[in-house]
Amino acid sequence: MGTIGQDIRYGVRMLVKHRLTTLVCVAALALGIGVNAAMFSVAEAFLLHPVPFENSDRIVALVDSRPSQGIDTNSVSPVTYLEWKAQAHSFDKMGAYVWDTINLTGDREAEKAQAFAISPNFFDLLGVHPLMGRTFLPEEDQVGKDQVIVLSYGLWERRYASDPLILGKKIKVDGKTLEIVGVMRKGFDYPKPAEAWVPLSFNAKQRTIRDSRYLWVLAHLKPQVSVQQATAEMRTIAVQQAEAYPDAYKGWTLRVLTIPNFATDSLTRQFTFLLLGAVGFVLLIACADVANVQFARVTGRHKELAVRTAMGASRSRIIRQLLTESVLLSLAGAVLGLLLAMWWVYLIVSHMPPEVAKFIAGWNTIRLDANAFLFTLAIAISSGIVSGIAPSWLHSETNISETLKESGRGASTGPSRHRLRSVLVIAEIALALILLVGAGLLVKGFRALIVVHENFRPATVLTLNLDLPEMQYKEKPGRTAFYAQVLQRLAALPHVQSAGLATYVPYAGGGGTGVSPFTIEGRAPEERGETPSTIVETISPDYFRLMNIGLRGGRELSDSDGDATPPVAVISQNVAKRYFSGGNPLGKKLKIGKADADSPWLTIVGIVDDVHYTWVDKQEYPTIYRSYRQAPPFYTSLVLRTNGDPLTSVSAVRSAVGEVDPDLPLFDVLPFDRVITNSIVGIAYVAAMMTILGLIALVLASVGIYGVMSYSVGERTHEIGVRMAMGATSNDVQRLILRNGLFLTIVGMAIGLPMALGIAYALSSILFGVRVADPFAFVALPLLLAAVATVACYLPARRAVRMDPLTALRYE
Amino acid sequence: MEPLIQLRNMEKVYEAGGSKFYVLRRVSLEIQPGEFVTFMGPSGAGKSTLLSIIGMLDGSWTGEYYFNGEPVHRLNVKKRNELHKANIGFVFQSYHLIDNLTVFENLEIPLSYKNVPHKERVSLVCDILDRFNIVGKKDLFPNQLSGGQQQLVGVARAVIQSPKLILADEPTGNLHSAQGEEIMELFRKLNEAGTSIIQVTHSERNAAYSHRVIQLKDGWVVSETSNAARVG
Ligand SMILES: Nc1ncnc2c1ncn2[C@@H]1O[C@H](COP(=O)(O)OP(=O)(O)OP(=O)(O)O)[C@@H](O)[C@H]1O
Ligand SMILES: [Mg+2]
Repeated sequence: MGTIGQDIRYGVRMLVKHRLTTLVCVAALALGIGVNAAMFSVAEAFLLHPVPFENSDRIVALVDSRPSQGIDTNSVSPVTYLEWKAQAHSFDKMGAYVWDTINLTGDREAEKAQAFAISPNFFDLLGVHPLMGRTFLPEEDQVGKDQVIVLSYGLWERRYASDPLILGKKIKVDGKTLEIVGVMRKGFDYPKPAEAWVPLSFNAKQRTIRDSRYLWVLAHLKPQVSVQQATAEMRTIAVQQAEAYPDAYKGWTLRVLTIPNFATDSLTRQFTFLLLGAVGFVLLIACADVANVQFARVTGRHKELAVRTAMGASRSRIIRQLLTESVLLSLAGAVLGLLLAMWWVYLIVSHMPPEVAKFIAGWNTIRLDANAFLFTLAIAISSGIVSGIAPSWLHSETNISETLKESGRGASTGPSRHRLRSVLVIAEIALALILLVGAGLLVKGFRALIVVHENFRPATVLTLNLDLPEMQYKEKPGRTAFYAQVLQRLAALPHVQSAGLATYVPYAGGGGTGVSPFTIEGRAPEERGETPSTIVETISPDYFRLMNIGLRGGRELSDSDGDATPPVAVISQNVAKRYFSGGNPLGKKLKIGKADADSPWLTIVGIVDDVHYTWVDKQEYPTIYRSYRQAPPFYTSLVLRTNGDPLTSVSAVRSAVGEVDPDLPLFDVLPFDRVITNSIVGIAYVAAMMTILGLIALVLASVGIYGVMSYSVGERTHEIGVRMAMGATSNDVQRLILRNGLFLTIVGMAIGLPMALGIAYALSSILFGVRVADPFAFVALPLLLAAVATVACYLPARRAVRMDPLTALRYE
Repeated sequence: MEPLIQLRNMEKVYEAGGSKFYVLRRVSLEIQPGEFVTFMGPSGAGKSTLLSIIGMLDGSWTGEYYFNGEPVHRLNVKKRNELHKANIGFVFQSYHLIDNLTVFENLEIPLSYKNVPHKERVSLVCDILDRFNIVGKKDLFPNQLSGGQQQLVGVARAVIQSPKLILADEPTGNLHSAQGEEIMELFRKLNEAGTSIIQVTHSERNAAYSHRVIQLKDGWVVSETSNAARVG
């Protein structure tokens, strides 16, 4: 065994001997290391391998963006894609996909499944192979040859009981008959949350569409081509397209994203980095705590270390000995921290509702894997070094011959030592303040999000979706009759107060709504490419009252707004404000689509409150409401206001709809409050984690200040004894100690506050509901921190004054 | 023969609040290999200070210091430590054993800092335990030993690496006279075996074991006397 073994053996002995401080250090480090390991696992899943295939760094997504409207990733139009495919040389494969929800009927109970229509080369492009059967053939993108489907493992297992003879079987999809040609391997669900894939085909008309963007394009780079080169080439092509067709491309910019950047949206990335920063802070605070303990311990061991030096220990050997101890400490912390991290990862994963988790790229790969283990080891060793280096360095500065002097009390505590310990405490306070303020802002922002929705009284609303098959409901009157019957039956159910329908329920499906251009009668078309756009909601008359959306002028829609009456619309207040500023919009006409669209002119009959559709939006989007009897949709959401828990009505609702059409799958059946919390579950996570981190930081920082204050009281025992012998009262002594500690606290807060303000600005720019000048975050929380720090200083101060001056004087 | 130690015009100053305070004044002296020398003088004379300079624990002084011909005043910290590690053993008045280490481990310390391999370390420690008759104590901790026994371990620790020079600052100051005599006998034997020794003492009886007594006062060397009536 070498001398390292000796250092380790001795280190363990020292740690065992000072059990209490060792425990405090290990606990602090375990908290710090644990949150880092857990957060690393999350970040790894989101940022490094969010997709279920290899080589994702050689695959890019080609997306449109519209910076002027804050759209950073958008799909592209068919012609754009086809031209890229024909012209680009940077890629050996390019493919596209489209979201496509399918109704599985016929063989079993009707079911809705999330499918994607993909180019035949899609799987090949991703480099994945089926578990059984085959993927698509090149010619299967032609209309007529596209009657095939590939199932995901999950769908095969669930709906078809893992039938080994499934290949070649025919199933009914949206009324068509498709042949099952393949099953993908377990866990492959790309694009999330795919359950099945069908070929993407274009008919002649689709091949000419340039300004309707619905295709997501992926491409695989040729071996020697870098992302930068491909980006340069694609930019050139995009510029040529924009020159040739300025109307279609005005304001749009092409972006080339690697798959990890594409799969994890920028908001998730920002919050992931925010939390990574936060856990880093917590670890730093823990390290500062440990460094402080090490300082105290090293000071107590001056004699021993001096003797070792006299015995020939070099400076580096002494440092190594001390570092060995602090690394041992942090390794112990790491072991405990990994256990904590396992628990935290479990908590994180298990609290995510499955209907949300399935959309989050990388979510099901969150686990403490070998990388997380290595990461933990690395941060443990570095925090051991970080927390040990300063104390051991300072020690090696001290004068050995002084320390070994037989009589002297030794020059154990130089001013630089004091200064460093103070700096550590100040840093801890500053970091803790930043974390607390960050947590406070997020919690407030989250609360604001919840409050915004209280007007809906969402706890008693049930939402569900249905999608009428096109074949069966080709004709408008059929759809209108279907909805009228369903609404009538639903409203008659016990516990149901009213029933309505709308195209989009706010916050459902991640807040995604389609938007359409619209044109106001008699207005000169806006500047080219800048047609106003709106959310178009097709609703039943009861919808506004059911959702508590207030009428601001004119009238609501009514059941008499039907096929036989003039087409009408209700607009949201911001449409009125933005496009009819000053004038009265009632009676004016507008139509969905551009000026040349052949849709009917709609007369504006009413104005209603604005509605928030997604928490990402800082402002409500303009919305135009139409009557379902005048424009019956295929896809719709049903909403029901119930007397109590909406879930108790679910089976009655299912049978009521079944009575009208037994083949129709109902999906995403959820209480509205659940829809809302699901849509902000990410923020809830971030807010909850920040709160936990903030509290940990508060505790660790107060442990730090307590440690330093009680150490300095111990060090000043003699001085305090003398002062008291000279007539100082216990109040004088207490004030002396408190003043010292509070000074450090105030300096720390003075440094932390401006940084916290920076964080506040950053957060307010990404999260609706966060205000920079938040009194809770910037007054209440700093006061809390100050109060806790005061207590941490007060305890040692009280101990100091309880000392008997005689004992204190003898203390040497 | 070259002197083991040669000091020329050595001075040591403490500065406190702007005023200078001389602890050693123009100290010049030579010590030959194999010599046993005693520093004596009143409290505060600078004996301990001089000893730690000779032991190379203290590097802030002026003047010239040759150890075995090597100019210590020109060496950097690292070289000086090497020289100290290779040649000098210390014995302290209050023993300075490390509380958390057993006797065996305390003896091992100087060897481990010289990177002596484990096996050799063990055999050297066993030898010395044998020589000092403390084999039975090897697993005890310092606070389980009497003062005399602790100092025995202290001396054993100083000689385990076979230093050329042993520096002892009042080695018997905390001991009864009988224990003190045992330690002094040990020094005499070590000296006869060839190790040079410098001790600081207030006791005439201890001084009698040495070849030469150097008197210090207020930082000055005030006299040197060869000891004709040496004990033994
Ligand atoms: N850190 C220091 N700052 C200022 N003066 C010091 C310091 N350390 C020692 N001295 C002074 O140096 C002088 C010599 O001290 P030293 O310890 O060498 O005396 P000594 O001869 O060993 O005394 P004793 O017999 O009491 O051990 C003393 O006057 C002491 O006050
Ligand atoms: Mg002395």
